[in-house]
Amino acid sequence: MSDLELTVAAKDTDRPKLTLGHRLWSAVLPVALAVLLLGFAAVNRGVLSPANLLNIAQQTSYLALFAMAQTVVILTRGFDLALGPTVSMVSVGSALAMAGATASGHGAGAVLLAGLGAGFALGIACGLFNGVVVALLGVNPFVATLGSYNIAIGIATTLSAGRPVQGVPAPFSQIFYSGSTFGVPAAIVITVAVGIALHLLLARTVFGRSLYLIGTNPRAAAVAGMPVKRILVATYVLCSGLAALGAIMMTARTGSGEPNLGGALSLQAIAGAVVGGTSLAGGRGGVGTAVLGALFITILSNGMNLTRIDGYVQMVVLGAIVIMGVLLDRLRQERRQ
Amino acid sequence: MNVEIDPRPAEPLLQLRGISKRFTGVRALDRVDLDVRAGELHVLFGENGAGKSTLINVVSGTFPPDEGTFRFGGEEIRHLTPQRARETGISPVFQEFSLIPSLTVEENLFLGREITRGGMLRAREMRKRARALIDELGFDLNPAQRIDDLSRAHQQMAEIAKALLGRVRLLILDEPTASLTERETGRLFELIARLKSQNVGLIYVSHRMREIRALADRVTVLRDGRHIRTLDAAKSTDGELVELMTGRTIDLLFPTIAHQPDKVMVDVENLTLADGSVREVNFHARAGEITGIAGLVGCGKSELIRAIYGIERASAGAIRIDGAPYESPRPSHSLKRGVAYFPANRIAEGLALSRPIRENASMTGLDLPAFARFGVIRQAAERVTIAGIMTQLQLRPPNIERSAGALSGGNRQKVMLGRALTRELTVFLFDEPSVGIDVGAKLEVYEFMKRLVEAGAAVIVVSSELPEVLALSNRLYVMHQGRIAAELTGAAKTEQNVLSSFFRDHLATEVA
Amino acid sequence: MNTALVATAPRGLVSLRSIAGRIGLLPALLVVLVAGMSAVDAQFYGIINVLNILRNASLLAIVACGQALVIIAGGFDLSVGAVVALASVVTAKTMAATAAAFPGSNVLIIASGVAAGLGCGVAVGLVNGFCVAKLKVSGFVVTLGTMSATAGVGLMITNGIPVYGMPEVFVKGFGRAQAFGLPTAAHVALIVILVMVFAQRRTLFGRYVYAIGGNVDAAVVSGVTIQRHIVGTYVVSSVLAALTGILLTAQVGSGQASFGGDRMMLQSIAAAVIGGVSLRGGVGRIEIVAISALFLTILGNALNLLHVDSRLQPVFLGVIMVAAVALDELSRGSKSRV
Repeated sequence: MSDLELTVAAKDTDRPKLTLGHRLWSAVLPVALAVLLLGFAAVNRGVLSPANLLNIAQQTSYLALFAMAQTVVILTRGFDLALGPTVSMVSVGSALAMAGATASGHGAGAVLLAGLGAGFALGIACGLFNGVVVALLGVNPFVATLGSYNIAIGIATTLSAGRPVQGVPAPFSQIFYSGSTFGVPAAIVITVAVGIALHLLLARTVFGRSLYLIGTNPRAAAVAGMPVKRILVATYVLCSGLAALGAIMMTARTGSGEPNLGGALSLQAIAGAVVGGTSLAGGRGGVGTAVLGALFITILSNGMNLTRIDGYVQMVVLGAIVIMGVLLDRLRQERRQ
Repeated sequence: MNVEIDPRPAEPLLQLRGISKRFTGVRALDRVDLDVRAGELHVLFGENGAGKSTLINVVSGTFPPDEGTFRFGGEEIRHLTPQRARETGISPVFQEFSLIPSLTVEENLFLGREITRGGMLRAREMRKRARALIDELGFDLNPAQRIDDLSRAHQQMAEIAKALLGRVRLLILDEPTASLTERETGRLFELIARLKSQNVGLIYVSHRMREIRALADRVTVLRDGRHIRTLDAAKSTDGELVELMTGRTIDLLFPTIAHQPDKVMVDVENLTLADGSVREVNFHARAGEITGIAGLVGCGKSELIRAIYGIERASAGAIRIDGAPYESPRPSHSLKRGVAYFPANRIAEGLALSRPIRENASMTGLDLPAFARFGVIRQAAERVTIAGIMTQLQLRPPNIERSAGALSGGNRQKVMLGRALTRELTVFLFDEPSVGIDVGAKLEVYEFMKRLVEAGAAVIVVSSELPEVLALSNRLYVMHQGRIAAELTGAAKTEQNVLSSFFRDHLATEVA
Repeated sequence: MNTALVATAPRGLVSLRSIAGRIGLLPALLVVLVAGMSAVDAQFYGIINVLNILRNASLLAIVACGQALVIIAGGFDLSVGAVVALASVVTAKTMAATAAAFPGSNVLIIASGVAAGLGCGVAVGLVNGFCVAKLKVSGFVVTLGTMSATAGVGLMITNGIPVYGMPEVFVKGFGRAQAFGLPTAAHVALIVILVMVFAQRRTLFGRYVYAIGGNVDAAVVSGVTIQRHIVGTYVVSSVLAALTGILLTAQVGSGQASFGGDRMMLQSIAAAVIGGVSLRGGVGRIEIVAISALFLTILGNALNLLHVDSRLQPVFLGVIMVAAVALDELSRGSKSRV
């Protein structure tokens, strides 16, 4: 119960006044998280050890970043199926650029810049493609990003010839993975920083406001003179840019460019966003929902791993959780009306 | 069209007593009584939002009533569904068509009651019956054509044909002539006469005096969800009906506006739209006066002002705002030039319902330094400005953090009007400004327009509410089938004269 | 009276558009592709290659038909790939188990296996349909969830190891057999396509699927029962996916949890979308979807024969898919810019 009260107290400071039902509701997921953690801890003490908690935080930071990326496009009633392949493509591309720069004898700084430049350029190109196809050509986001999904997979595997790309320099891994600030691992630091920046962007800027208005009623936004198409393109670019950052962090972790790095990330990221309470109908969600959802999924799989639950069973549980999450979201919407 | 002929029963065909219906706190119907006799055409008369469409939805089984008794053909009816309504012979023709755009006319006619054998469709049989029905009705319809390939008038015919397939005892027509031409309307009236002679009861929703005069046996007037009075059509005057409808004599409803026509602010020359809904229109509106545009649904009047604002695409012609040519208009550019548009459908095109009133009101002003600097929203300034505007417009309750969806129709329109006060504007395009709002809110909207005009703005009002557009405008254009059919300047502005002369003029333009 | 209507100018244009829309560019593209490849490479029309194409195209077409039905009703089925895998392993496991219990009684073994495989399809389809129709959860998310769950169950059963132990007859006499020069899968696919085309055009179910996808509100007002038919589309889709899994199992000779998968799911959606099925619902024809499945298979085959790097092939699929839908959107003409 104390968790619940805490959350309610925290929510009180929020400016828009929430009804009691709302406050209780927004506490459901954090409470579920706590219950989950305690439940796993009952089975395996190791779950609550500081080392494992740090481990959970670090694991969460990747999924949270990708869930944030998805949330941005889901807010506008879209989604990005190509997120996973984009991650693979960026990973391969940045590793290749760094290996090439190293081979041609550049210094560490230039090598890093080459890697980051190539990675973000690929990510942004992918986002531009998605955005242009969705916003300017009017193609359904599902088909558009399914198309770029295939294209990005093709590029990633072709560039890498299907094999991991070696030659990621140590400083790169140092900065984006093994390094730490005041003892906090790099991945957590980056994700927290990005999360804060994204939250400010969504809550405080005209761009962020536009995302919510467009997602809630795209026609009204257009009639009100909002540059809907331009904003949509920017949204997809932002999503892919965040995915590229995540890809760089994951590449630093593995130490090589991996053509299969993205794998099932697209759907995991969507699941994270949706479980956290981002609405696929658009206009509802934010950094908080993405982080909560990612935390939930990570704790669930971490706990299941530590309690020796079969990986295949975990897939079944995850599937059920995703459906439950959306079902709860729908019930919540009905309660509002 | 298989019409059951039963001897005139002792009790009316349809008998409603004390029907009430609430929607999320709004009382749409308040203890309404209605009798429809077999062989009678019964007109429902009332303003938008008076409860007419809720009532016909109750009769046709779409909404269950919260209370009251419903008797049809001498039997008490409970738990009516659309399907059961059709089975018992209640056939509605809605304004929002119940047609599937990707299916053909004949597939739509039989939708929900296909002729089948063991789950298999008997296409030949259905085609034969569809042909027979359409021929009998004398409609110019090809049963094999897809609905989305048809004009609105033809879709209306398909909808009527759909209602008349099978056994019909009570036919409900909701403004059926809104998109029909004179000739098609004539056909429909012949058909109605035939149905009446076959003892079918009809409920007819319309606010066209001419139709009411031509068709009605009795008229029931609704206002604010209440039954006001049921009159014999032959014994009532137009003025009496309008007075009952509005609940006041007409001169009280509209404010007197001091028009002072000044320079031309909007000038449209030979405008033709890409979709053909507006053709070679010449039109202008001056500062300091209200310019009205009237016409049937689908005549292109909304499309004309939407094209000026930049939501519809023009294929030829020129638009000038304040004398300067305005090429390829876009909403954002229009706002910068001082042109604002207030959409008819505030749910679809106006408001983001789940967002706060504050965000909805500032939506059109986010490019201004008053609301945002370097792309960052000035939250405190926004709150203060919008709160001020909403107090000025007397938003009730005055909490700007509530979601727009929680507001009544009138208050939603106020949020839209509030947008106008967030920036410098000179041209105001109102599309059906009083649709779906109550009488009190209407008055406030009219007062708002009055203030705008008297402050020197150019106001253009597009409306299907003929009394409204007549009373408000200084000059009135009448559109028909995408063209300007007439331009009227109000000279004889006495109450009854305006009404009757309007209908005569309207008739003349329709014939022309 | 009808001629007068059709003769007017705007309708003439409309009918031209709808003729192009109804027949489509696809058959023409298919002919060009086949003719071109035949001219370039004799291997293309060699019997082995043709059989190979037919087998793969048949499997894809069966899944795509079900997928198309769901999309026409306004939904989505991401779980088909996982159902292919689950049906495959369940069929193989059941046959192995029945064979151990009743050795030699092939009819019983095969019947039990096929029934179990199809049963998986029915089960997943019912779950999908129930969640979408009754609980009103978006089809995308529901099938995303069941995809994960179904794939998990398939892997759980097998631990990722192929399942053997099916009767010889099932593999040699059915899966790898040919009749009238066509592989079994092609016969099954033809039957499925014919039945589905018939269902679409001549049955109440097909008509209502169009109506629900075209305009749900109008369908409700017209007295169409919505939920039952939505459940029906998901069940049909899953059962057809299960059928594909069984065919694949018979063809390969083992049940594998790696069959189908994301690739099959994405391809089935690609086939439906390229075959003119609108993601807005209400529009699409099964026979064109089948042609589209054939087209995609031949395209992949052609790229192989032309020695285009297999890794680069997804790029072509992606570009074609986006282009097909973009062209469709553009030809629809942006009537209103909002």
